[in-house]
Amino acid sequence: MIEFDNFSFQYREGTEPVLRNISLSIPDGAFVGITGAAGSGKSTLTYAINGIIPHCYPGDFYGAVSVEGYDTVDTSLTDLSRLVGSVCQDIDSQMVSTVVEDEILYGLENFAVPREEIPARVDEALEAMGIADLRERTIDSLSGGQKQKVALASVIALHPRVLVLDEPTAELDPASSVAVFELLARYAREHGTTVIVVEQKIALLSDYADLLVIVDEGQIRFADTPDAVLAHADELLALGVNCPRSTTLMNELAKRGLYAGPTVRNVAQATHALMEVLA
Amino acid sequence: MAKFLEYVPGNSLLHQLNPSVKLVCAVLFAIACFVCSNLVFLLVMLALALTLAIGCGFGRETAGLCKAVFAFSLILAVVILLTTPYGVPLITLPWGFIGTGSLLAALTVVVRLMAAAIPLFLVFYATKMSDITNSAVKQLHVPYKYAFTFTSTVHFIPVFMNDMSAIMEAQTARGVEFDTSNFVKKIRLMVPLCVPLLVSSVRKTNSAAIAAEVRGFNLRTRESGHKDYPIGALDVAALLVCVALLVVAILVAVLA
Amino acid sequence: MIEFVNVSASYDGELAVLQDVNFTINDGDFVAFVGTNGAGKSTTMRLMNGLLKPTAGEVLVDGVPTTQLKTSELARKLGFLFQNPDRQICCNTVREELLFGFKAQGAVDDQAQARVDAMIERFGFNPDDEPYLLNRGTRQLLALASIIVMEPPTIILDEPTTGLDFRECEKVMGVVRDLNAHGTTVVMVCHDMEVVGDFAHRVIAMTQGRVVADGNTFDVLRNEAVLKAAHILPPQVTEVSMTLDRDFANVPTSIACANTVEHMVSAVTQVCEGGR
Repeated sequence: MIEFDNFSFQYREGTEPVLRNISLSIPDGAFVGITGAAGSGKSTLTYAINGIIPHCYPGDFYGAVSVEGYDTVDTSLTDLSRLVGSVCQDIDSQMVSTVVEDEILYGLENFAVPREEIPARVDEALEAMGIADLRERTIDSLSGGQKQKVALASVIALHPRVLVLDEPTAELDPASSVAVFELLARYAREHGTTVIVVEQKIALLSDYADLLVIVDEGQIRFADTPDAVLAHADELLALGVNCPRSTTLMNELAKRGLYAGPTVRNVAQATHALMEVLA
Repeated sequence: MAKFLEYVPGNSLLHQLNPSVKLVCAVLFAIACFVCSNLVFLLVMLALALTLAIGCGFGRETAGLCKAVFAFSLILAVVILLTTPYGVPLITLPWGFIGTGSLLAALTVVVRLMAAAIPLFLVFYATKMSDITNSAVKQLHVPYKYAFTFTSTVHFIPVFMNDMSAIMEAQTARGVEFDTSNFVKKIRLMVPLCVPLLVSSVRKTNSAAIAAEVRGFNLRTRESGHKDYPIGALDVAALLVCVALLVVAILVAVLA
Repeated sequence: MIEFVNVSASYDGELAVLQDVNFTINDGDFVAFVGTNGAGKSTTMRLMNGLLKPTAGEVLVDGVPTTQLKTSELARKLGFLFQNPDRQICCNTVREELLFGFKAQGAVDDQAQARVDAMIERFGFNPDDEPYLLNRGTRQLLALASIIVMEPPTIILDEPTTGLDFRECEKVMGVVRDLNAHGTTVVMVCHDMEVVGDFAHRVIAMTQGRVVADGNTFDVLRNEAVLKAAHILPPQVTEVSMTLDRDFANVPTSIACANTVEHMVSAVTQVCEGGR
C-alpha cells in the first residue's frame, strides 16, 4: 500500500509548492494512471513514491508518504529502490550497458541477488517483456519500443513491489504504446505488482488503469475508476485533459437525451452503446 | 558503421581477449610507442596496429579513427616543423629553418600518435562497456565508482556527438550555413551551439545518475559482477607480445 | 511544390530505408505522413529539406533538385520544426531566438523586428524570458514561432504534438491550421490519429520505406487494407462508424460515414428523431 498523508512539496529553487495537500491511498496491486496538464505536478507525484523526492531533489517536504509502511523520507533511496522499480522518462541516458543482457544484469548484481538465481531472473524478465530474442543485441540498435521493453525488463528482474513509469510511451507509435501497456498490465496482474504510470495518452490509461488520478495545479482533482472520472468530461476539459473521443461522443448523445447508459471509454463500448441507441 | 567508440559485436581475436588484459596491452603498446623515437620501429608498430585492426574486422572504424588522429597530429606536426630547426636546411624561415631533421620529427609525431591511439580505441570497439568496468574492478582492483565514471564518460561521447549533429542539422534547417565548405566559418558557427549541447548534456547526466542510483549503484562492490573474466592462454600470449614490444622499444631507444 | 520522383534513400549506403517513393505536394496542401516508427516518415522529411540526399531518383523543391541546393538555402522555402525543440533553441532570450533565423539568413531589418514583435504578441511570450527555463510545451511553441516568423511558404513538422498536453497540442495545431488557411503548405509527421483526422486534408501512409496510400484524409483512414498494412488505427469515431457499418445490417449511410463527433451526433440525432 502506498499512502500520501496531507503531503506537500516545494522544490528548493521553486517559488511555490508543486504539490499541495495530497492525500491518497493506493492499494496493493492497483494499476494507477496519473495524468494532467503540463506543469500540474504529476511527475513530482511519482518522484515522491520512488524517493527521488526528497533524496535527489531537495526541497520543503510536508506531510508523509509511505510505501509498504516505509516512510520515504526516513528510508534511504537505495532501500526504497528494493521496493519500487522506476523507469525514467529519458530511456537513453538510463541505460548503463552496451548489450541488452548486461542491462538486465546490472540491478541484479547491485542488489546482490544470489549468483545461482541470476540466470533464471534474467530469462524470466526477458520472457515477461517478450524480448528473449533481443538478449545479445546492442541497445543502440533497438527501436524506441524495444528499448522501453528493455528498461522495463531491467527493473522487473528486481521483483519490485511497485513499478513507477514516467510517460513510457511518449516517443512510441500507437501500436508500440499499446504493446507496452499490454505487457505491463499482464505482468502486474500475474505478480500482484502495483503500477503507477504517468501518461498523456488518456485513451490508453482509461483502458488499462483501475484508478485514474487527475492532477491540476498541484492538487488531485479526481482519483477514481476511469468510468467515474470520465463522467466529468467538461470539468476535465477545463483542466486541460481531453477524454477519449468515444467518451465525448456518447457524452454528447447523453446530453441530447439520446443515450442514458454508463460512461464509455473505448471504441468497442461506444459501438455497442450506439447499436443500442439505434435499435 | 558503428558510431565513434561504440561496441561492435563480433567474435574476433580482440573480442575474445580478457577486457583487463586488452586494456593493459593497449597501454603497454602505447608506452612502447612513446619511449622510442625510431621512425622505423614506429612504422612497424603502426603496421602491427593496422594489421590487428583489419584482421579483427575494424577496417572501417579504424579508417575513420585514423583520419581524426591524423588531422590532430598534423597540427602538432606543423608546429614541430616550424620550431625544430634540425638537419640539412631545406627552407629558411625568418626565425630559423625547416630541415630534414624537422621533417623527420614531424613525421615521427604523426606515426607515433596514430600507432599509439589505434589499439586503445580498438579496445572500446571490441569490448562491452560493462565488461570493461566489471573486469577492471575485479582484476585491476580499480574502485567501482572510478571505473563507472570512466566508462560512462566514454559511453556518453557518442551520445553527445549524436546530439551535436542533430543540433547542427536543426540549425542548418533554420538557415545556418553548416553545409558550407569553409571550415573556419563552420567552426565559428558551431560556438553558439555549445549552449543547447550543454543543456542537453546536463539533463542527460543528471537523469543517468538518478537512474543508476535507483538501481542500486551505491550497493555495488567488487564482488557484485555476475560474469567472471578468466585469463586464458591467449591473454598470456597477448601480454607477452606487448611486454616484448615494450622491451624492444626500450632497447632501440637506449642503443640509439 | 515538393516532388518525389522514384526516390530511394539510405544512411551510410547500407539498407535502403526508402524505396521508390513517389508523390507531389502542391502549394497549400495540408499533408500528414502516418505509419509506425521506422516506416521512413522522418527520412522523408529530411529528404525534403536536403539534410539527406536521395541515393536514387529526385527530390524537387519548386522544380529544383535538392542535390543542387544547400539545406541552409532551402531554409527560406521550408521551415522545419524538429521533434525535440531543445535541438533548435540556442539563444539566451525569447526575442533573440525569434530573431535568430533572420540573423542566419541575412540582415535583421525593421521588418524582421516588426514580425518578431507580432509573433511575441500572438503567442503571448515574454521577450526577455530565458528559453531553457520555459516548460516543454512553451519551448515547442517558441521553436514553432521561430520558424514561422520567417514566413516560409512551406512548413514541415516532425511529430509536433509529442510530449505536449491537450491544451498545448490544440494551441500548436491551431496556429498551424491558421497558417494553412492563409496559404502556407503544411507537411507533418504525426502518430496521433485524432490530430491527423482533425487537421490534415491529405494523408500519405507509409510502411517499410514505401508509400502504401496517398489520398484524402478519410479515404485513407477508412481503407481497412491500408490501416492493416501501415499498422495504424483510425480516429475513434471513424472506427466506431466503420465497425457499425461492417458488423450490423442497415446502418444508415450518414452514420456509417461519420468521422467526427459532430457528424456522428447529428447523424444519430436525425435517425432517432426521424424514427419517432
